[in-house]
Amino acid sequence: MLKVTIDEQTLEVEAGSTVLQAARRLGIDIPTFCYLKRLPPLASCRMCLVEIEGLRRLQPSCATAVTDGMVVRTNTTLIDETRSSMLDMLLANHPLDCPICDKGGECELQDMVMAYGPRRSEFRDPKRVFHSRDIRLSPVIIMNVNRCIQCQRCVRMCEEVVGAVALGTVEKGMDTAVTGFEGSLASCDQCGNCVEVCPVGALMSFPYRYKARPWDLAETDTVCPHCGTGCQLTVGARKGEFMRVRSKQEHGVNRETLCVRGRFGLDFIESRDRIKRPMIRRDGALVPVSWDEAGDYLRRRLSAVENKAAGGLASARLPNEVLYQFQKLMRTVFRTSNIDCSSRWSAPFDTLGPLMAAFHSRAPLDDVIGNDCVLVVGGNVTEENPVTEYLLRDAARRRQAGLLMLSARPSRLDADARVVVRVPPGGEAASIASVVAGLVAAAGQALPGDALATIASTIGRPTAETGGEGPGRLATALKEGRSATVLVSVDLLRSPEARATLQQLNNLLQILRLLGKGTAMQFLFDRANQMGAWDMGVLPAALPGLQAVTDDAARATLARNWGAEIPSEPGADLDAMLELCIDGRMGALYIAGTDPLIAYPDRDFVTRALGATDLLIVQDTFLTDTAGLADVVLPAAGYGEESGTVTNNEGRTQKVRKFREPAFEARGNLAIFDFVAALRNRALQPSTQDEIFDEIARLVPAYRGLTQDGLGAHGTFTTAVPTPPTGEFFALPPAPTATDALMLITGNGLFHNGYLSERSDILNTVANDPYVAMSAPDAARLCLSDGDQVVVRSAGGKLTAQLKIDRQFPKGLVFVPENYRALRLNSLMRRGEYPCPVEVQGVHRTLEVDRTSRIWRGV
Amino acid sequence: MFEPILLKNVDVQDGHLLSTYEAGGGYQALAKVLRGYTPDEVIDLVKQSNLRGRGGAGFPTGMKWSFVPKRVDKPKYLCCNADEGEPGTFKDRIIMERDPHQLIEGLAVSAYAIGAEIAYVYIRGEYVTAIRRLEQAIAEASAKGYLGARILGSDFNFAVHIHCGAGAYICGEETAMLESLEGKRAQPRLKPPFPAVAGLYASPTVINNVETLVCVPHIVVRGADWFRGIGPDRSPGPKLYCLSGQVRKPGLYELPMGIPLRELVEEHAGGPPPGRKIKAVIPGGVSAPVIPERGLDVGMDFDSLAAAGSMLGSAGVIVIDDATCMVKVATRIIEFFHHESCGKCTPCREGLNWVVKVLRRIEAGEGAPGDLEQLEKLCKGIFGNTFCALGDGAAMGLRAALAHFRDEFVAHIEERRCPFH
Amino acid sequence: MTMREKIEEAAARYPDQRSAIMPALLIAQRQHGHLPGPVLEEVADILGVERIWVYELATFYTLFHTEPVGMFHLQLCDNVSCMLRRSEDLLRHLEHVLGIRKGETTPDRLFTLSTVECLGACEMAPVMQVGDDYHGDLDIARIDALLDRLRTEAGRPTGADHAAAASPGE
Ligand SMILES: Cc1cc2nc3c(=O)[nH]c(=O)nc-3n(C[C@H](O)[C@H](O)[C@H](O)COP(=O)(O)O)c2cc1C
Ligand code: SF4
Ligand code: FES
Repeated sequence: MLKVTIDEQTLEVEAGSTVLQAARRLGIDIPTFCYLKRLPPLASCRMCLVEIEGLRRLQPSCATAVTDGMVVRTNTTLIDETRSSMLDMLLANHPLDCPICDKGGECELQDMVMAYGPRRSEFRDPKRVFHSRDIRLSPVIIMNVNRCIQCQRCVRMCEEVVGAVALGTVEKGMDTAVTGFEGSLASCDQCGNCVEVCPVGALMSFPYRYKARPWDLAETDTVCPHCGTGCQLTVGARKGEFMRVRSKQEHGVNRETLCVRGRFGLDFIESRDRIKRPMIRRDGALVPVSWDEAGDYLRRRLSAVENKAAGGLASARLPNEVLYQFQKLMRTVFRTSNIDCSSRWSAPFDTLGPLMAAFHSRAPLDDVIGNDCVLVVGGNVTEENPVTEYLLRDAARRRQAGLLMLSARPSRLDADARVVVRVPPGGEAASIASVVAGLVAAAGQALPGDALATIASTIGRPTAETGGEGPGRLATALKEGRSATVLVSVDLLRSPEARATLQQLNNLLQILRLLGKGTAMQFLFDRANQMGAWDMGVLPAALPGLQAVTDDAARATLARNWGAEIPSEPGADLDAMLELCIDGRMGALYIAGTDPLIAYPDRDFVTRALGATDLLIVQDTFLTDTAGLADVVLPAAGYGEESGTVTNNEGRTQKVRKFREPAFEARGNLAIFDFVAALRNRALQPSTQDEIFDEIARLVPAYRGLTQDGLGAHGTFTTAVPTPPTGEFFALPPAPTATDALMLITGNGLFHNGYLSERSDILNTVANDPYVAMSAPDAARLCLSDGDQVVVRSAGGKLTAQLKIDRQFPKGLVFVPENYRALRLNSLMRRGEYPCPVEVQGVHRTLEVDRTSRIWRGV
Repeated sequence: MFEPILLKNVDVQDGHLLSTYEAGGGYQALAKVLRGYTPDEVIDLVKQSNLRGRGGAGFPTGMKWSFVPKRVDKPKYLCCNADEGEPGTFKDRIIMERDPHQLIEGLAVSAYAIGAEIAYVYIRGEYVTAIRRLEQAIAEASAKGYLGARILGSDFNFAVHIHCGAGAYICGEETAMLESLEGKRAQPRLKPPFPAVAGLYASPTVINNVETLVCVPHIVVRGADWFRGIGPDRSPGPKLYCLSGQVRKPGLYELPMGIPLRELVEEHAGGPPPGRKIKAVIPGGVSAPVIPERGLDVGMDFDSLAAAGSMLGSAGVIVIDDATCMVKVATRIIEFFHHESCGKCTPCREGLNWVVKVLRRIEAGEGAPGDLEQLEKLCKGIFGNTFCALGDGAAMGLRAALAHFRDEFVAHIEERRCPFH
Repeated sequence: MTMREKIEEAAARYPDQRSAIMPALLIAQRQHGHLPGPVLEEVADILGVERIWVYELATFYTLFHTEPVGMFHLQLCDNVSCMLRRSEDLLRHLEHVLGIRKGETTPDRLFTLSTVECLGACEMAPVMQVGDDYHGDLDIARIDALLDRLRTEAGRPTGADHAAAASPGE
């Protein structure tokens, strides 16, 4: 510890602390512009200069490390004069157009001048006008170069945090300007983090332009609805109308960052696609009716199917309270365990449960990625969970974490990784098995004898052929590290291989644990409340708290509290429910807030299934394709119209807050459940959000003791008591025979991750057009070049889009982003088959179908 | 007469060829250190010689070298600062054009001392002839085994690469040069870490001026005492002086350190043009504060000039005669710094812009009362507060001009015109 | 050697491709005369570096031109040493005989006239750089002779008959 005296106050700080950090800890205010907590100091604005005893010159406190016994002064006349002088110089050419500047009222320069500036300036010469018009760098980012004070926060944010390297600085001296390549940011991430960190009105949000003044806005702190990272954000609304999103420096996992979806993709709440009134099917068409009429209709229809099966599907974006109440409704009123929370894939709970129980960590991402090794398995974290990716980049660059990437899809983060293993589509399980084999081979003796015997008898000799040398290097890195974190993309759960992949992950984590390494595991969900949905028991085999449905004690506790019987058998997941529908056995299917017709991988199958359902109830904010097939449509409150809590990938429970009342005749989701329960002459108790939260905090083990008031600005972590690993190891199922066939996989793109993003006008504007990506050798073999229009054809259907050649792609991989509604990607897929074999051709040539290449099937 | 050492070959026919250089005893210093000296002994020798950097700051070269950590698992680099952008300076160009092997030998000996196997010579892009000559010399030296693997049968491997600048004065600042070498906009870096510890590609790096490096082989051959015997003990050695401006014989002069400025200007360079008197001299490139005629008796070495309120800098001696308007000179100098400001820090970027506007106004006869106080206030805001020495240099120069020639500024403001027109 | 080969050769001197952006831009500018966007993109592609990095350097350094310049770029030094030796008079003369202001290019695209900061040749002030060559100890007569030589080199009418020969279409 080092002793430092600042303005006569003394403090002990750790070695490496800067004077600025020390001063802030003492509550001494030192003004800064270029300093940003998460970036290395630049020391260019010279606002933070301080006097240090023994040094002739003033020193930038942001970049000066404390030395033992250092004596610092920040409150002398010289410092006052210097600060004032810096501001005077900055203002000399700064346009004083505050009245029409979007930053007016929340401008750091304005504030700083008030606090430290000269009362008047001597400067009388004409100001420089650099660019007389603002420059539209992208659809969402607009730049006023004259106002820029060259703090370089934006450029550093773009390069060092986001990793996009889209913004840069051109020219030099007084001509210096921040801009994109050739003056455009048209192809950047559009995350707007540059806008967020701009202290003045230089980089501005175009959608928010001239819309409001900060003091007109009612601001509400809430959580992003888009992905499972769970970024905190602040919605600014005026009279209930959505205006903008900002992020706050010190809040949440994300602090001041967001991605494009969070920052610009919330305008979906104003989508024209809104369901205004309840609707019922009459003579084949959906007609708007009153809630009472809808109730009467629904009561009749429900009693007609009382003796048939029922099922429920709810969105993993809905708040915990809604999800909890949904499964309670299904279990106690509809008396079924046919419950699921994803319209694309269902988690195999028999494998997932033990894995979660033994290894899943409810802990800050910042902590778990501080481990020596961070293995990211599957997916593309850059596009699926951008803000998580920012933190991973920081861990790799600044905290020396060894990033290990294993995925079919390349990502930007690969550039910062220590090892990148590119697996063939669908080859994740086999690659992880190779890593496991490598670890066992390398560390054999270090493993306890009995474990080694078990491993040998189950895993046997590894089949490393899919892996090449990558898995070997990955195993070596894991072996050398003291601790490892595994981050699992949901991408892996969508395939029929999910069980095998989870089993191999279980093997890997168990072995790491046996080798004495600290381990942690989290999922990288692409739905904002996927974690909460699991926790709330929106699963056919698990009750709230991820307790097995077959667990009598757990069931008894819940039944007692709910005052109702709970079915004791695991139910059908979505896939099985759809089969029940097809077989004509599904009486009522209740879908809340999700659109399987777009998302379920087999459009034809789901269309037939929904058509064959006796009664399809859709409760939603927007008129989805699925709602179009419903018998009853119930308009529900949307994001921002209902408060509640969500639990992010880290297991952090945070508050989503409403900032307006449900629009039109929509009702809160909870109220609608009450409404439906009442039609069956039942009442769900309790029924308000607050009371339900309290019940969750009482009955769901990981949530025990949480209070809403305790959630604060950062949320609170749920806690689960880990159970020891099972000690069971899993053999790899026989590897699929590799063929030359092209395999289609899909996943989220940066701009779209589904249901909500596709209703955002802004995201639709900035998103690149849907595309087909494949490797250079595959493209060459097919005589295709970048930018060609291509047809992708499968046994199920076809689509046409532009080809994007990706040099990092493995051979055989074809990627088309999902969630482009018009593309109807899921019509190419067939149930249970993923990756999906396809053929790709240039638009003009005729297709010769080679049916033999389509035999590759997952096992 | 002082016998030229550094400039021995510059006026010789084919002085740039290896054969000429070898004939004059070239590469013997390299042979001598590779045979008989450990790297540390070379560093000690240079320390004993009291050689101080010729790039401007006058930092002791041997000491700088000794900051390089001995054992690191990274490569070490030597960078030669041949960016020579300081107005009034042309000494490095002449050496590289006319005696490039002298530099190559200096590089090789210095690299051996610090344990570097690669040197980058950062030459300003305008110096096309120097670049070609140096390329040619590198090829010749490589062919003869003075560069490459196992030089002269020793264990020492060494390669020299040329990196061309592209027109930015700031690249002469050593950390900006490193940024530029790494392919970035040339903006100075924070120190610490100092380049000797983490410089180019975060590896230990020594940056030395051309003239500094060129002194090294001579020290090896003739000894530290010989070097220390020339000029003042704390600031010794032969020195290149660049004479330009209003003198009869502009040109490059090699004379001992510490020679009186008056002698340099009036005797060696022939004094002012006929019928004129010297008004002032800038002794070390435009970063060095101007010295009025009455101050010319100062010795041309780091310490004496510093004591006189100026600096030796690059020894670019610019002579200004009595028919010249000092406001115009000062304006032109500040315009230069303003143009060359890299734009990183507020006081340099914004402050100089303001200064330029006021100065141009005064020069054009549109000055107003209070302008000079404003300039002084700006100098105060800039000096000592900029990120690198560029801004300091500008503010110091302007302060000196305002101090010594205030009457000329006042005349411009009061008469609302330039009295020299 | 193709531009790509030259750039790759230059890049081999550095442990990091980014370092080769400056040499690559010099090579590309020699090839193309100036550095328009597509050339910058090509350089970025060859080196596999970010496009914005290339753009940053192409605009930071004064020797790089993102806009076209004339066949002969007349770069007259106007820093102090040259100023003291009346480079201003030469500038005025050049502007007069070429019929352009500094920073402009003659309509026949033969000459671009610029002033530059110190060229590091103050011993022969006033100095002007044209292409790779320095021309020192200049006065008006020498400037005129130089312009004539350059025009001849380009196969254009020389100064004496220039006015007469200048066609309206030029
Ligand atoms: C703005 C600025 C410009 C400089 N320009 C040069 C230059 O052109 N040549 C040079 O050798 N040193 C220049 N220097 C000094 C270098 O930063 C550095 O001190 C020098 O190269 C070290 O070499 P030396 O120790 O051999 O003198 C400059 C410094 C500053 C602050
Ligand atoms: S990373 Fe996820 S949670 Fe964060 S802003 Fe983006 S979409 Fe929202
Ligand atoms: S000032 Fe013109 S060449 Fe030096």
